[in-house]
Amino acid sequence: MVVDIIVDGGMLYGLIAVGAGLATGLAGIGAGVGEQGIGAAVVGVVAEEPGFLGKGLFLMLLPETLIIFGLAVSLILMFAWTPFV
Amino acid sequence: MPVLRLPKFGDPVKYAYITGRVRAKKTKLVPHDMYQRMLSMDIAEITRYLEETQYKDEIDEMAKDYSGADLVEYATFANLAKTYRGLLDVTIDEPKFLVLEYLRRWDVWNIKTILRGKFHGSSDEEIMKYLVPAGELDLEFLEGLAKKDTVEEVIQAFDGTDYYVALTQYDGHMLSSVENALDKLYYFRMERAVGGTLSVGGGLLLKYVRKEIDIKNVITLFRMNKAGIDASIIQENLIDGGKLGDDLSRMAGQSYDEFVRGLEGYPFWSAISDVVTKGDEISRIEARLKAYLVRYAWAISNYHPLSILPVLGYIVSKDTEVSNIRKIVRGKEADLPAELIEEQVVVA
Repeated sequence: MVVDIIVDGGMLYGLIAVGAGLATGLAGIGAGVGEQGIGAAVVGVVAEEPGFLGKGLFLMLLPETLIIFGLAVSLILMFAWTPFV
Repeated sequence: MPVLRLPKFGDPVKYAYITGRVRAKKTKLVPHDMYQRMLSMDIAEITRYLEETQYKDEIDEMAKDYSGADLVEYATFANLAKTYRGLLDVTIDEPKFLVLEYLRRWDVWNIKTILRGKFHGSSDEEIMKYLVPAGELDLEFLEGLAKKDTVEEVIQAFDGTDYYVALTQYDGHMLSSVENALDKLYYFRMERAVGGTLSVGGGLLLKYVRKEIDIKNVITLFRMNKAGIDASIIQENLIDGGKLGDDLSRMAGQSYDEFVRGLEGYPFWSAISDVVTKGDEISRIEARLKAYLVRYAWAISNYHPLSILPVLGYIVSKDTEVSNIRKIVRGKEADLPAELIEEQVVVA
């Protein structure tokens, strides 16, 4: 009966949307936490060695890949995954 | 009681900027194999080499007034002060507090230099050459002190500060008691400051500070025991707070051989065992003990990458570099054999 309410009542799509939001949002927060340290260290090194900017930016972007995973999960949830249908 | 130091959220980030910066600065230090090459160069060649490094600005600026070993010495001192002040400028919060507490040793150095200069009637220009304004006391204040006429006037200028109590021990005849009181004050403050931090790396820094106190006390014991000074006077000169405080205090007043036998088994013994048994000069033993301490600082500097330890490692490395360069040029100036100079140079 609960499943019927969720599936027929349209609640399923609401929960999928919440899940998709959490997947991207939490991944973004995780990447931000990782980047705060790397960013500070890179700025410190670049202040001494301007030539390190390219490598530094690359290192800084590494945690960003986590958001791509989160985004992919979100897109799958929103557009590709259709349970009980 | 040991204090549990756990990483707190956001704590490592405080250190990320400054550790990134000091790691980049470390790459600009003189490579260790260069000291070997410097030993075969003359002073002019060493100066030319240093002009290609971070010392360029200071050497260019001072070359019009000085030459030879003097030029290298004053230029390296000026660069050291600039580098350390730079560290203070780019740190905030806890790292700044700890770096400042550590660098107060240069305040103590400057106060001692000014007092000695005034005591022996040196001119203010002569005193200014040896000042390293790397701590809290800036160049302007130190310049004002150097211009004062007497030791008493210099002491009076510190009225209201922590240093005043230590400086008032001056009896008008000897500076040694004042110098000793200043050292004790420095290490008391340093130990209190480091002991109060709960950040990761604070425990190892505290261990380093205690080890430094022990090494200083061992050097004092070597000098005073060899001179046959009374135990109570030696004990007065030992600095409190070291890990081996009680052990070393008991060694005061012992005969030199008994004292040396008592040191066997301590961690620093392997660094000095071959020179003490030969009864070599204290300066050689002192150089070995200082090298042991520097190596310890380098060893712990990589334990926690985002902590105060890499900063300590850099400060010690820079200090060692300047000290090595000075030893080489002053040794060359005095025509000392290369082997003798090499023994004094500290490398990893």
